[in-house]
Amino acid sequence: MLSFIARRFLTMIPLLLGISVLVFILMAIAPGDFLDVARTQEDIPAEYIERMEEEFALGEPWHTRYFIWLGNVVQGNLGESWIYRVPVTELLWQRIPATLVLSALSIMFALCVAIPMGVLAAIYKDSIFDRVSSMFAYAALSIPEFFLALLAVMFAAQTGWFPTGGLSSVEHEFMSFWGRMADYAHHLVLPTIVLGMGSVASYMRIMRANFLDYIRSDFVTTARAKGVAEGRVMFVHVLRNAINPLVSASGFILATLLSGSILVENVMNYPGLGQLIFEALMRQDEFVVVAAVMMGCVMLMLGNLIADLLLAWSDPRIRLEKN
Amino acid sequence: MLLKVISYPYLAHLFTAFFLIFFLVSCKGDIPPLEREEHDLPQDAEVSSTEPGNYGGVLVTAESQQPRTFNPLVAEDAYSSEAIGRFLNGLTTYHPIKEKVVPELARSWEISKDKRTITMELRRGVRWSDGEPFTADDVIFTFKALFDQRYPNRYMGQYTIAGEPIEFEKLDRYTVRFTTARPYSPFLYVIGFIGILPRHVHLEAYEQGELLQQWSVRTAMHSPEEFVGTGPFRVRSFRPGQRIVYEPNPHYWRVDSQGQRLPYVDYLITRYVQDRNTETVLFASGQIDIASITPGDVVGVRKNAPLHDYTVHHRGPATGIRFLWFNQKPGESEAGKPFVEPHKLEWFTSRKFRQAILHGLDREGLIQSVYFGRAELLHSIISPANERWHNPDVPRYPYDPDRALELLREEGFELDGNGDLVDSKGNQVSFQVYASEGDDITPQILSTFRENMRDLGIRVRIRYLDFGTLVARVSRHFEYEGAMMGFTGGADPSGGRAIYLSSGRLHLWNPEQEEPQTDWEARIDELVYASEETFDLEERVGYVHQMQEVFSEELPLLYLVTPHAYVGLKDRWENVRIPAMGSVIWNIDELYLGQEK
Repeated sequence: MLSFIARRFLTMIPLLLGISVLVFILMAIAPGDFLDVARTQEDIPAEYIERMEEEFALGEPWHTRYFIWLGNVVQGNLGESWIYRVPVTELLWQRIPATLVLSALSIMFALCVAIPMGVLAAIYKDSIFDRVSSMFAYAALSIPEFFLALLAVMFAAQTGWFPTGGLSSVEHEFMSFWGRMADYAHHLVLPTIVLGMGSVASYMRIMRANFLDYIRSDFVTTARAKGVAEGRVMFVHVLRNAINPLVSASGFILATLLSGSILVENVMNYPGLGQLIFEALMRQDEFVVVAAVMMGCVMLMLGNLIADLLLAWSDPRIRLEKN
Repeated sequence: MLLKVISYPYLAHLFTAFFLIFFLVSCKGDIPPLEREEHDLPQDAEVSSTEPGNYGGVLVTAESQQPRTFNPLVAEDAYSSEAIGRFLNGLTTYHPIKEKVVPELARSWEISKDKRTITMELRRGVRWSDGEPFTADDVIFTFKALFDQRYPNRYMGQYTIAGEPIEFEKLDRYTVRFTTARPYSPFLYVIGFIGILPRHVHLEAYEQGELLQQWSVRTAMHSPEEFVGTGPFRVRSFRPGQRIVYEPNPHYWRVDSQGQRLPYVDYLITRYVQDRNTETVLFASGQIDIASITPGDVVGVRKNAPLHDYTVHHRGPATGIRFLWFNQKPGESEAGKPFVEPHKLEWFTSRKFRQAILHGLDREGLIQSVYFGRAELLHSIISPANERWHNPDVPRYPYDPDRALELLREEGFELDGNGDLVDSKGNQVSFQVYASEGDDITPQILSTFRENMRDLGIRVRIRYLDFGTLVARVSRHFEYEGAMMGFTGGADPSGGRAIYLSSGRLHLWNPEQEEPQTDWEARIDELVYASEETFDLEERVGYVHQMQEVFSEELPLLYLVTPHAYVGLKDRWENVRIPAMGSVIWNIDELYLGQEK
């Protein structure tokens, strides 16, 4: 088990190196640089811009800068954000909790809605419920997240039932503890639904298909013949088997949620990583972009690792190591 | 049956959760009034001339971007500067209603006969927000830091006059003296840009070479009490991407005529919203007190005014300028290719050609179609919003295609049989214009431009570039024919010298010339320098007016239109005085909550 995990981590190193090289090349090809905004301000002196070019080594070719950066990374220093003049790790940590909470809630929301709906759609195959739910699934899959986010903002502005964005209201720091928790919850409802909607649909379809496969299998007939109650057959025997593909699929969801959250966070004004990465990309704040991309990559791999471990736990037929 | 078994508990839980949230949210209540600390008033407290008001109230504003730093030596964007200005003061400040420089931390000043020495008397008895006294040492410390080679910052260049850094010395506890290498009349204006730093807070970091790492967003998050200043507020809390909350500085040095220490508001909250449209929505739904409104949104936002008791005020023309221009840079790139093809360079450097182009553009039509009439023609390099410096009597170029053709004929251009314009050597007139994408008005202006030019027999190609690429092309590679851009304006014209001077970095059509290459550019250089050495305001205005005349005559920049600016403000705030340019709540310390109407 441990050696399996260690092996997984070792394979991450060349991948991260490759990705960081790619990001540096892409940033070098992209037109302009971080100082473009300063260059167009009429009251910033030319000497200052020259000093900054020197400090950020913007005149150097990308590979020189890459190796300087790599040298620092080996020493555990991911560099400093040019915009904020704060270590990159610190900047990312400011935003990670908000994004993790949103992602975790979206996954939970997706699973809580998708599993029962998928099961019901399978049990009552071809019923009205099945038809309506698949229609919903196709609709949800085909609407882009940012558009859904826009609709949600409009909905919030029209009805006034939910805040139009953000993670907390302006009165937040003057509230009691429970008031603050409720305030967070109130703000999280719409982003969670928007971000989770796409996953609900795809999970539901996976769940339904698997459930249908197992419903027709021999052990179900055996169980029924033994006189096991129908509810127990469905929810213990069939569900247990049908859920495995869902577990492995959820390894990717962390990564897709992260990329989805960039759009959703920007539209819904949610103070997470997405906002930060978007700003860093637009301003070409190099070290923040590299660190953020690498973090997304690490998250994808961790997600897959966790999914594999979960799968091994939920399905006794799977062994991580050859004995 | 199964449907019931599964759905019942789920639905029940879902509903319970929803109701719980709604219940808790509905009892969250309002912000409690602030308990104010009592401290003695400073000896040199400034008494506000406005109507005295009452304490209380929360003012909520919104910004599209958050501050990147709270350290004035690091700040280079308007959002950071604004946040810093809430808790730091300069020596002087620009009063947007009186349109002149007024005292801030300096109580008064004296200018020597040779105009090179300025002796400033500081406000006595002022204390930092942590209770420490403010003295000349703080001023000296700040200037020493900004001229320190370890700490590159934008002020270093700004405070270098005629190649020499400003000299500064402390005469006594409350007097400092500045000396400039040459007389420099914008001195009192620019000296107010830098917020004076508390020496007792930063001395250690300064000596260890870590001054630029001080007062970052990290400090704001974890220990905002470290932001010690003399300004009207101190930072209470900062949440990145969400908001900043300010509370009054209990040691602030301004009072009202009844001896109440300003500011009146209990809290000032600035929310960060990524999208300008969201800001408009927030204002129109009564969630923020103030917002700038684009001309296109005015009608929509006004509809909601009776619901939330606000007014959309018309501020007149906006402060920025927007223009098209042609590349006039002679010479060739490193690859040996001329920046501009020689025959085109001949057109672009011809004054009459440029004037003809502007005569040929239907700007009046643009105002109607793009801005719904909420804009006006721009005639000068200084926006009419800047009333003190704007020259209204400069040459104008109204839409007049006949006049345009006449001017072109005078320069030897002719229409050929196909209706195409050709120059005296038979070259067909066509050029390419670059513009930055991501602005919904630019394409509308440029497609009108292309159609109008077609009427003159000129073929225009338009290409949209990423902003960074556009900047690199026009300011470093010079490989373009025409381009469109804009500048935000400042109050004193000395802020525009990078554009005006032939040696300037943003002298866009032909930047960073070693010697002025045309007579009119030499004349402009002369006028700029003359205006900066003249201390008589009327005389200075005269030079700046002449400079604008030259620019409008020669037309290196083809001015487009200037949209009108609108600002929405809740009616409950008193003492509001909306200036022609700059922030609407520039006198935030004097605003107070009136009676509910």
